[in-house]
Amino acid sequence: MSASEATTAHLSLEVTFVMGSQPRYLPIVRATVGQLAEIVGWGEGDARAITLAIDEALANVIRHAYHGRPDGRVELECRAAGDELQFQIRDQGEPPDPSRICARAVGCDQIGGLGTHIIRDVMDTVSYQATPEGNRFTAAKRLRRPA
Amino acid sequence: MTITVRQSPAARIVDLEGEIDLGTSPKLRRTLFDQLKETPKLALNLQALRYIDSSGIATLIEVLKDAKNLGKEFVLFGMTPAVRDVFRLTHVNRIFLIFETEEDAIARA
Repeated sequence: MSASEATTAHLSLEVTFVMGSQPRYLPIVRATVGQLAEIVGWGEGDARAITLAIDEALANVIRHAYHGRPDGRVELECRAAGDELQFQIRDQGEPPDPSRICARAVGCDQIGGLGTHIIRDVMDTVSYQATPEGNRFTAAKRLRRPA
Repeated sequence: MTITVRQSPAARIVDLEGEIDLGTSPKLRRTLFDQLKETPKLALNLQALRYIDSSGIATLIEVLKDAKNLGKEFVLFGMTPAVRDVFRLTHVNRIFLIFETEEDAIARA
């Protein structure tokens, strides 16, 4: 194990955002997620992709769960644990319609549904749950170090 | 996000600077649709664009469709690696006419 791996193996950092369902907060989240990804060890391009995926998940909450209402509550937990980044988003808006998640065909000129494809392409695991306490989106990505 | 519009002999050019996301894409949409009404050739400069999300990509697709319906041209140029990654992730590279430089875009436009 290299010195850098020894360092990141014990890395554990959690950042929580509690915010209104307003797009104006998204740049703050993007800056943090991008830096977390780089701290774990991803390069610039991968860090950008992870940032985009989480930005898309939050945008979906604002657009679809709260229908653009600015007074919804959105909680985002980001956890860097070893070589993995884990995210959880909770909201109390309208539950997601499973039939509409990734319903768009890729590579076409249809306008909607791009975000969910980005999330699934970028992250290793993705799940959506509607619970009595609200909606929960979870996603994770593990860093693959060269052997 | 800052949007600047200028006119070249061959096309109307829209320069973007900053980030396009859910909050800023409506402004971009209004600007591009307004400009498209006034020119047969619209070119979008992405050189100073640091970030674009799927709402920005969806806006560009809408404008492209409108341009095609009106028999007009809508081209992109100056794509940074960050923006190029999003086009790749959304699989829309082939939908647009994308050029490296303004000169190339105008010559084709």
